[in-house]
Amino acid sequence: MSNPVIEAPPTAPAVTWQEGEQLARRASSRRRAKRLVLLAAGWVAMLLVWNVAAYYLPAGVLPSPLEVLIVMWEIVASGAFAANFFASVGKTFVGFLVAIAVGAPIGYLMGRYTYWRAFFHDGVTVAGTIPALTYAVLSLIIFGISDLGPILSVALVSVPYIAINVAEGVRGVDQSLVKMSQAFGRSPQQIRRDVFIPTLVPYIFAAIRMSFAVAWKVEALTEVFGGTNGVGFQIRSEYQLFNIDGVLAWMCLFIVFMLIIERLVLRQFENRVLAWRPEERVGR
Amino acid sequence: MAVLTVKDLYKTFGAGTPRANRVLDNISFDVRGQTFVSIVGPSGCGKSTLLNIISGVETHTSGQISVTSDDGKPARMGYVFQDPRLLPWRSVRKNMLYVQDQADDETNRRVDKYLDMVGLGKHGDFWPGQLSGGMQQRVGIARAFAVEPDLLIMDEPFSHLDAITARALREQLQDIWSQSKKTVVFVTHDVVEAVELSDRIIVLQPGGKIFEDITIDLPRPRRQTDPAVATLQAEVLARLERMKGMAPQVSAAP
Amino acid sequence: MTATATQRRSSEEQASGTSAWRRRVTSEPAARVTFYITAFLIWVGLAAMFVRVPGPAAVTASLVKEFSRGEVFSNFADTFYRFAVGVFLSVVVGLAIGVIMGMSGLARAFFESPVLVGLSIPAIIWAFLTVMWFGFGDTSPIVTTFLTAVPFVIINVAQGVQGVSRDLRDMSSSYGVPLGRRVKDLILPAVAGYVLAGVRFAVIIGWNGVLLAEWFGGSGGAGFRARYWYDANQFAGFAAWVILFVIVIVVLDQLLFERAARRAFRWRDAGH
Repeated sequence: MSNPVIEAPPTAPAVTWQEGEQLARRASSRRRAKRLVLLAAGWVAMLLVWNVAAYYLPAGVLPSPLEVLIVMWEIVASGAFAANFFASVGKTFVGFLVAIAVGAPIGYLMGRYTYWRAFFHDGVTVAGTIPALTYAVLSLIIFGISDLGPILSVALVSVPYIAINVAEGVRGVDQSLVKMSQAFGRSPQQIRRDVFIPTLVPYIFAAIRMSFAVAWKVEALTEVFGGTNGVGFQIRSEYQLFNIDGVLAWMCLFIVFMLIIERLVLRQFENRVLAWRPEERVGR
Repeated sequence: MAVLTVKDLYKTFGAGTPRANRVLDNISFDVRGQTFVSIVGPSGCGKSTLLNIISGVETHTSGQISVTSDDGKPARMGYVFQDPRLLPWRSVRKNMLYVQDQADDETNRRVDKYLDMVGLGKHGDFWPGQLSGGMQQRVGIARAFAVEPDLLIMDEPFSHLDAITARALREQLQDIWSQSKKTVVFVTHDVVEAVELSDRIIVLQPGGKIFEDITIDLPRPRRQTDPAVATLQAEVLARLERMKGMAPQVSAAP
Repeated sequence: MTATATQRRSSEEQASGTSAWRRRVTSEPAARVTFYITAFLIWVGLAAMFVRVPGPAAVTASLVKEFSRGEVFSNFADTFYRFAVGVFLSVVVGLAIGVIMGMSGLARAFFESPVLVGLSIPAIIWAFLTVMWFGFGDTSPIVTTFLTAVPFVIINVAQGVQGVSRDLRDMSSSYGVPLGRRVKDLILPAVAGYVLAGVRFAVIIGWNGVLLAEWFGGSGGAGFRARYWYDANQFAGFAAWVILFVIVIVVLDQLLFERAARRAFRWRDAGH
């Protein structure tokens, strides 16, 4: 054993590690508190702007947040919200399933073969830029006023997102894993089940999250143009009566509950399915 | 046990085009029985290509190559890659089972046996992402042995690991190999590692010709610290000094 | 030799036999052409299946009629004016707020919720509200375009500014790179792509917004004209306008932004 040449620095740190850790913890909790205050300030500012505008604008042009809140409560209490909300959500999800059934195979082909990529490329790009209004009205022209219109428009608007994401996912498949599987003589079905599909699942979730944000708006839009029920239909009825507070109340309710579905339900489900990802486990 | 025969093998990338690049030039050798053969050479000498051809991932341009098993059935091959190549969404044990043809009790027992041999008997239900790089590579090694291959191909399996982990795994590999006695083709750029592990070393030179075919006759188990191993390592390194200054004929990558 | 189980074929032995004709049919340009033919056939099929869906002939006829009546250019002039003003305002405001959000974590916390709310309000709501507030005229489409587009510009710019790598910023300060050069060589190239993506999003989203506001606003413009035919149950006339909407946005997107984006991100795509 040789003598240690490196010695501890002569000046010992002023605080012990426990104290240091405590300081760091206190600093981070202070930072978190500041962030929370500002987050709340953001909401307060928004409501304040709304309230002030409502106060100064001529009567009837913009109801105040409180008035809208009262109408929201009436809508929820009357049971109208639950019925219409579930009608809208149901149509959105059916449209979604259709979009996955159509978009996922297209994306798979696009990711796998250069021929199909060239084939679908222009269509998918154009479909992704078409204004939502067009989808809403076209669906109504095809199906008339019925539940099928919103379903079709949701499907039409979501297919490009799903196809693009799935194509990206297929191209993102780790070729070294495919080569490993082939080297060990795995069959194409096995490679599809154990390598391709698990790679694709996160991309499909990304596609669902991205297109869900667009899809429920298009669903509501289609109901505005020609629904028989649903949140969009109610918004339209209020608009025709020039009830601004009714329009705002329905809108606020719809946004709140759609964000709940988007943030809580979809994300929870995603976290469960993707438990193998190390960053997900450490993350939240 | 397996016989690997390679005869008059050539490989040219982009054959028939102006950018044709010959990477393997008239390679012939056989491997018989329970031998540990290393293929060694500087980067760009074509050793990875040779390995890919043996494993069937790439096709050769001309010549013959065959792998024979002694029971007449298709030869079974096992692979250990540079990186572990585990499916991140399957547990360690499911990764081992993934490359097995059967899922019976006997297979399960064999998988457990090899997991134990690499010291990961308790980690069967872990996801690969929860293991360190060295542990993942051990799973890769166990996976290859657990298919009971006629020919086991290893492509620089320790080159991405730190020196201490690599040394521990080399010793573990020798122990497992001594117990199971497979035919192994081991590719590495590290002559020192090759001397420690192999019965025979085939040295490729830039341009893809065989430079030397060296037999290593040392008792096992060998350890990196053995003086006999060290002496032989120095001798082989000295012989390879002559290769210095040999430039590859075409350096363009395929 | 004994039982040779695994004998591999060399590439010389695998005499490839794909004919030139076959290669031409499976080429990429051929795939594009096939797609357009297929899409056209699907349209014809839909028109045959659903009485209300107009076929290519009827749509072409109404398109020609709209052009000859001089409706196309005057209405698009109105729409473009409103659209351009709205998008311009959203880019200016979005850049300002986005840069502030990207630079300061506290500003991010403050603006986070308003931007989130803004992102989730559908364009149709803005169209309704602005029509009720401002009546028929240029104001409601302009404000709708602005309000639907601005949150998208903000989040993209904020992400870009925030994403300027900390390491590179540290590197620049440890080499003492002057501020002017730092902005020119580090911040701008890193952010340009994101700004562009934000503007592109704003254009796509804003185009929908302006059309919706015109649809309900009733003071001329492409959206108004499309509604005119829709209300008259003349779906061929409506479809003619849809084709025009789509052509305009695709041309704008592909010719302008696709190229600019490729330029802004060429350092990233240059690998291999």
